[in-house]
Amino acid sequence: MRVMDLLLKDLMQLMRDWKTALFLLVMPIAFTLMFGFIFGGIDATGDGETEDARLPVGYLDLGLGASEQPTSISMHLLDMIERSDAIRPVELTGVTVERAQALVADGDLAGVVIVPVGYGERVLNAGTVSKPPPLEVIADPNSSTASVVREGVRTATVRLMGAVEIAQLSAQALEARGGTADEAFVAQALDDAVAAWQTPPLAIVETRSGATTTPEDEGPGWSENAYAHSSPGMMVQFSIAGLIGAANILVMERKSKCLRRLLTTAISRADIILGHFLTMFVMIFAQIVVLMAFGQILLGLDYLRAPLATLLLAVAMALWTASLGLLIGVLAKTEDQAVIFAMVPMFVFSGLGGAWMPLEFTSETFQTVGRLFPSAWAMDGLKNILVRGMGLESVWMPVGVMLAYGVFFFALAVWQFRFE
Amino acid sequence: MRAKIWDIAFKDVLRSLRNMFFLAFGLGVPLLMAAIFYFAFGGAGGEGYQVPTTSVIVVNLDEALAEHGDFSAGEMLLDFLSFEDGGGDGSMADLMTITEMDGAAEARVAVDRQEAGVALIIPADFSAAMFEPDGESAIEMYSDPTLTLGPGIVKGIVGRFVDTLAGTKIAANVALARLAEEGIKVGEGELQDVAMAYANWAISLVAGEDAGNDLLTVRSPLNPEAEVSQDNGVIQIISLIMGGMTVFYAFFTGASSALTILQEEEDGTLARLFTTPTTQSTILGGKFIAIFILLLVQLVVLLTVSSLIFQVDWGAPLPLVLSVVSLIVISASFGLFVTSWMRDTQQAGVIYGGVMTVMGMIGISSVFTAGVPNVSPAVKTAPLIVPQGWAMRVFELAMDGAGVDELILPVAVVLLLSVVFFAVGVQRFKKRFA
Repeated sequence: MRVMDLLLKDLMQLMRDWKTALFLLVMPIAFTLMFGFIFGGIDATGDGETEDARLPVGYLDLGLGASEQPTSISMHLLDMIERSDAIRPVELTGVTVERAQALVADGDLAGVVIVPVGYGERVLNAGTVSKPPPLEVIADPNSSTASVVREGVRTATVRLMGAVEIAQLSAQALEARGGTADEAFVAQALDDAVAAWQTPPLAIVETRSGATTTPEDEGPGWSENAYAHSSPGMMVQFSIAGLIGAANILVMERKSKCLRRLLTTAISRADIILGHFLTMFVMIFAQIVVLMAFGQILLGLDYLRAPLATLLLAVAMALWTASLGLLIGVLAKTEDQAVIFAMVPMFVFSGLGGAWMPLEFTSETFQTVGRLFPSAWAMDGLKNILVRGMGLESVWMPVGVMLAYGVFFFALAVWQFRFE
Repeated sequence: MRAKIWDIAFKDVLRSLRNMFFLAFGLGVPLLMAAIFYFAFGGAGGEGYQVPTTSVIVVNLDEALAEHGDFSAGEMLLDFLSFEDGGGDGSMADLMTITEMDGAAEARVAVDRQEAGVALIIPADFSAAMFEPDGESAIEMYSDPTLTLGPGIVKGIVGRFVDTLAGTKIAANVALARLAEEGIKVGEGELQDVAMAYANWAISLVAGEDAGNDLLTVRSPLNPEAEVSQDNGVIQIISLIMGGMTVFYAFFTGASSALTILQEEEDGTLARLFTTPTTQSTILGGKFIAIFILLLVQLVVLLTVSSLIFQVDWGAPLPLVLSVVSLIVISASFGLFVTSWMRDTQQAGVIYGGVMTVMGMIGISSVFTAGVPNVSPAVKTAPLIVPQGWAMRVFELAMDGAGVDELILPVAVVLLLSVVFFAVGVQRFKKRFA
């Protein structure tokens, strides 16, 4: 029961300091909203509704003649790009190349396709006269969308050139049978081929399991819940940051010699260590529960779809974080050291564990190293529930790894604990 | 007076340089963050960013067509994906590892268990659809919902193959329809010739791309003369991150350096200093100079180390000098301003941990939105509501190669804000110690 007395004392001490709430709740909620808004809750059109989630790619036809009528090839290319499931064309009329570049540089467009003068004619004559000039694509190399834009434009271009080839092959087949393939025949064959690409006979259908994907009948505009990464990410990061206050209690007790005085009382050394450890556990666990409730109620994240699995993850996360907190409190000699010893692991564990960005985007070496950290397993476990739609069976490994780290940090803390 | 002001400044600088807090958060953490991202994107290996390999399970249910010489499009796809030197963009083995399974359900479970990133399920009627007049078929690509990069790459590669097959069928259908319009009945052999001609064309197109006859030329919007290369992509990402970290932690240094004024006030040494013949202006002036010096030390170290180790390009000399000077001035003056409102050092935790952190994250949010498409105007403009945002804007322009004329406006705003913050901060301190 003395353990409980110490636990209650520590908790009251923390609750009296309103800065505790700042680090434990306010900041993780603020950062969750911020990152979720940036990476997913973005309104593409600025009108409050995201109707088309495809990347906007400018379409600049330099070959528009005095009549301002595009060639049939240009129209077909525009049509092909429109049918892409990854990019959507934004026609740029009366716009210079420099202005188009600026639109990409400013992030207003994911890229720009520039159709050179004479492109249509050279495509139609490709193979017989000369190769068509390459299309120019302006895209930001720092952006992850550059490759999407390139592939989307390439696919449209290849299909268009394929349609031209099909028209020519049809003309050759007609002439081989003694017919005459005039311009009208070729144009019609080209139109038929382009129309056929609207619903290609062989295609790829994407499916995936997941708890946050919306039904397929919502069309191409659906997307994952943007907070499915930022919510668990910030939970992992700020559970470590929240240790500063609790670790400082230990530091202050040691500095003020209160810890030594405690030893003169009936409370045992083990109870003192356990009392402080339980404080950190209760604090972090409460933080996780509140943040999960916030995610469940306000962000549309279904933490409760596998309640037992979620509970196990929350307990394991709180245990290893609390063990780390105890270690920080043991090693730090001053308040400043407690802050540094908490913040540096926060950055390292969060960065390497994939709390900021999915490990998928990092190099294989980084992913391998990242998996050594309990934060990566916490992220895995939470995303198994939130995104992959899995249940209890998916959290055993993450829970096991986190508990192992908890035991390791706790043992280290006990070994290094000094009462003076 | 001149000697005393520098004595005071020198004392404060030494004190801060011995302070682990400054060393950790002023120097250590920014470099640590940049190192993490540098390492994350494969910069350490000197080979630039390498796309991670995606584990792909292929379930080939396609039935070979005995009447067409055991033709199986599914087998062709499997051979294509397993071909070591194919793909056009390097070895397939660099992009994906292929495992075959017999059952679709089994493959989906493997993806659910994260044993693979993608499962490709080739249906039984895949080959048949190519020969039936109205035949249609689709390969199911079942992927891990937490992955975007790997499935995107797989879809791109498989999509090219599927498009080639679809093109052969479209070619045959169009030739059949067009010649029928002309009153000519086309035999199966002729249709196969058309399909084969199309397939040969498609293969030669890919071969042409491999040989350098690109269908597209991709250029950067900032440097249109240079073709986009992945080698400098990592450095550009790290440069942006390092710029953000520098701005973010410079403001912390400014504020924590100004905090020494309150610390001395609480320790009682400031009051004792005021009883000496040294004027208040000299004392406070020395402390202000110390803030500037510390910031200069911090920025020189960060810029030098990041240039040497991470190859960060900070821009041309004059814009760089403007960036550094404006950052020093605004972070020092803002630190003074913020500290002048604090009652005591106990409030430092909430000010640094809360206010400064949130303002800093808003100010450098362009680092996070750099690779995000369709960023709304509100998100792009938000950084400019905080001084960190303006400082970041100056650095971004300098790193993007902007000239001095483009920097004039943001630098002017930064200096104007600095004057305001400095004036208010000094006034408040004078009133406090009057």
